[in-house]
Amino acid sequence: MWRSAQELLDQHKHIELLTLDFFDTLVTRNVAQPTHVFAEVERRLTQDHGPRWRGYGLQRVRAEQRARAAALEDDKYRDVTHVEVLTELALGMKLSLTETEVARVAECVAEVDAAQAVPFGSELFDEARLRGIALLVVSDNYMPATQLVEMAHRAGFTSLLQSEVMVSCEHGGLKHNGRLWREVLDITGVTPRKILHVGDDVAADVTQPSRLGIATYRDPRMRVTHRNMENTSPDVLPLSRIEATLRDETYVSGWDSAHSIGAGALAVLVAAQLHDVHMVLAQRPVTGVYFAARDGWLAHQVWSQTFAHTTDTPGHYLAFSRSVFGRANLAVVDDAVALRFVDQHERITVRQLGERFGCTLETSLALDTIVDAATAREIVLQNEQQILDASGKLRERVMGYLDTVGMLSPGHHVVVDAGWTGATVADLAELVSGATQGRATIEGRFLGLYWDATTHRTRLAMHGLAMDDLGALDDNVRLLGVIRLWETLMTAPHGSVIDFAHAHQGFVPVFADTPAEVSQHDTLVGAMCTAAIESAVAMVNGTHRSGVALADITGGAAWAAMMQVGHTPRRDELAVLSRLRHVASVDHKDGGTSIVADAPRRSSTLPRERFGETYDATIKRHWMQGSLRAWARQRDATQFVQEMYGIWPFMNERWVEERNDY
Amino acid sequence: MRANYDDEMPLVTIVMRTYERPVMLARALTSVQKQTFTDWSVVIVNNGGVPSRVDDVVTVARLASPSSDIHVLHLDDRVGMEEASNIALQASSSEYFVIHDDDDTWKPAFLERTVAAMSTHHDAAAIVTGVTKIHELSRGKTLRPQASEDFYLTQERLTFDGMLGNNTFPPIAALFRRSLLNTVGMFDATLPVLGDWEFNLRAITAGPFVFVPERLANYHIRTPDSDVATGNSITVGRDRHRETKVLLHERWMSESTPDGTNKGEAAKSAHEEFERQEAQTLVAHQPVRRSFVVRQGVRVLRVLRHPSAGIRGAVRRLRRVTGR
Repeated sequence: MWRSAQELLDQHKHIELLTLDFFDTLVTRNVAQPTHVFAEVERRLTQDHGPRWRGYGLQRVRAEQRARAAALEDDKYRDVTHVEVLTELALGMKLSLTETEVARVAECVAEVDAAQAVPFGSELFDEARLRGIALLVVSDNYMPATQLVEMAHRAGFTSLLQSEVMVSCEHGGLKHNGRLWREVLDITGVTPRKILHVGDDVAADVTQPSRLGIATYRDPRMRVTHRNMENTSPDVLPLSRIEATLRDETYVSGWDSAHSIGAGALAVLVAAQLHDVHMVLAQRPVTGVYFAARDGWLAHQVWSQTFAHTTDTPGHYLAFSRSVFGRANLAVVDDAVALRFVDQHERITVRQLGERFGCTLETSLALDTIVDAATAREIVLQNEQQILDASGKLRERVMGYLDTVGMLSPGHHVVVDAGWTGATVADLAELVSGATQGRATIEGRFLGLYWDATTHRTRLAMHGLAMDDLGALDDNVRLLGVIRLWETLMTAPHGSVIDFAHAHQGFVPVFADTPAEVSQHDTLVGAMCTAAIESAVAMVNGTHRSGVALADITGGAAWAAMMQVGHTPRRDELAVLSRLRHVASVDHKDGGTSIVADAPRRSSTLPRERFGETYDATIKRHWMQGSLRAWARQRDATQFVQEMYGIWPFMNERWVEERNDY
Repeated sequence: MRANYDDEMPLVTIVMRTYERPVMLARALTSVQKQTFTDWSVVIVNNGGVPSRVDDVVTVARLASPSSDIHVLHLDDRVGMEEASNIALQASSSEYFVIHDDDDTWKPAFLERTVAAMSTHHDAAAIVTGVTKIHELSRGKTLRPQASEDFYLTQERLTFDGMLGNNTFPPIAALFRRSLLNTVGMFDATLPVLGDWEFNLRAITAGPFVFVPERLANYHIRTPDSDVATGNSITVGRDRHRETKVLLHERWMSESTPDGTNKGEAAKSAHEEFERQEAQTLVAHQPVRRSFVVRQGVRVLRVLRHPSAGIRGAVRRLRRVTGR
């Protein structure tokens, strides 16, 4: 669908002047979006000059917004200059003159370092030179022409002259408001119909020049990776660089959102699990590493292709699920157990309830009778003995299985799991500790720990890499909001473990393959997982095309990846992820629920007192942020979502927190 | 502490007083283990609680981070909070110390920043960071944060005059230089509460308190509907705080402030001024209520935009009026 430079120039044979937009048409950066250059500046400044510069990225974005607002008041047609932006930055961060100059230089250097040619821009540039067509770069930017020329030279456009660059901040008008286009006509003296302009922005590069009669061509391929600009901190850089590489690699074939989520954010999370284990192995003796089903399957695949060849510590895939280990570890059947096994608003058949505990429950009701949560819990409490008997038998099979995978060997065992409260790994730790009289100990390594994890810290040594229950309140809620998404993506090609076979069958795990999950894995998730494994293996081996290596995948980077997709999904990502369904691990039978919830009916007239119900239902059962972002794009629900943001501001698009200590 | 057990003295001793709150203790220890600055030693004072409950938590914490330097002092009988601190301080040695209550937490950079600030402020008696106040619900074994807010603290509130009216910061926010104990003495073990405030007023005579505004300390407060056993001393024992304050005011009547005025009188008037400021702050933070005209205007606009909601609202108001 995209034209080649030759085709385009053949189509416009009459032109005397080819004007090119600069950023994302001629030159782009090696990061996913422009503001991530400021994240790189922050990384360098913090590394070279200390924590004083933490928060620079977000402050820099804010400073530009303030400078633009001030410039608008002064003269609504002109663009801001770099000096004005830096002045605002200095005020915001209380920078001295010297510090401001340090920031300016760091930014200019980082911009040049990040510059790379856009393939189509490069083709056009060369073809125009070959045909002898005059060239002019026309850019809306606060940086002077000299800076743009330096970047262009770094990107390979070494023949570009400063006289061939017109920048808005030096000409008193913008492309966006048409002023700069009039300047172009005045200065060049070329009639509009003899000019072809190529750019990526609708207003600046198509609407405004077209009004003056200039022919235009728009190519927005370099914009596919842009997200909310305020989420700018050094932690975003690993995923940003990977996405930029994917953008470049799919330039011709076309952007594949599912593949980019797999090879991008999902791969970062898997690599983060490996990095975390790697750090533990470097610090202390470990008897065995266990990647817990199902969200440890991807990490185990990567381990098998990488660390398994370089370390003596054995790595196992552990068949593991909340329902089985919770059920096997019952000592009493009380209200807490009933609450844990029967959800608050659930309606369930008596048969299903029995299956959850692996026994037939005695009740006067028929097996297919549907009961509400209160009745179900009452039945549970009345059947304490049956449940405990079933639990004891299951516990024997579980212990048999754990013995076969070596977990009952004396020593320290590390269990790798995605998260989120540590309850199941705590149950496992208790089982193992009890069976071995404390000779085998368990340590849980999680990607994210939500605040309910606090309770389990007395039962289990645990660590949350990307986030933990000690983190900020807002981040805890944000994590809760994205759990469904990552549970659905970080998965295995098999269903949840629901039981273990008897001793004579070797205690092999019994998996429940639900049609909904199998189908989703075959059509979408499987391909994403394959991309994630390939990308994560490259990160571990240090051969990733983006240059991102395992050492770059810190807890902060993993959190940023989780939030970049989970909290601020792009439109294309949302479209792909909206197809996902989440099957509750407790029954493994139904078709699951869509992870993106439907907007409440007649949301525009929903009374405020009912907002809480919507919030609770969405955050507990769906992908909260994905649902909100999807609703925000529905005309009827836009206002409702804005009101939701007003009440729960941490669900707004910004997740990078502002520092208040400058 | 490490000096008593090991050869090397840690730079920071963290005194953690606890009594029958294993979940909170586990959380507090994790918050210490996550510090980016690692030359520390924790001294847990189990203030008369069941020893095994503390030992279990410590065992788990050591598994999570085997290099952690954690020591436990089990006291047979429960003593006052300040006496517990003194026991831990006497049993340890270090350059700096912190009183880390078992219900509070730190951000990972707390020790790194405060120790760095100490090294650049050689005369400082203490470094105090910004604080986030976290309101949490404690039921059974679960702790669930409900809301967080910025704790109002400025450099002015860390001067002698600024602190004289009231206790302006929680212990979790401060790193102290241990040498000041030689100058101003230990915590006053006779005080049931407010011992930290009384100590701060003596400590500041040995050197300034330097404020690091970054919010690196989390001060956890239980909400009123939490289990009473887990409550904060300031919320559960309000009366005791008031009584102790009166007692201190009386005690200070025979003491002088650094500028020579009567400490008791100065504290009383500073307290009144503090209360007045607090009241003003509360008023200033009240949400601005829209005027009647604006409210009605908004209502009309909303009805025009969503007529069905307007009709339902009118029906609701009518029902309220008619009682049906």
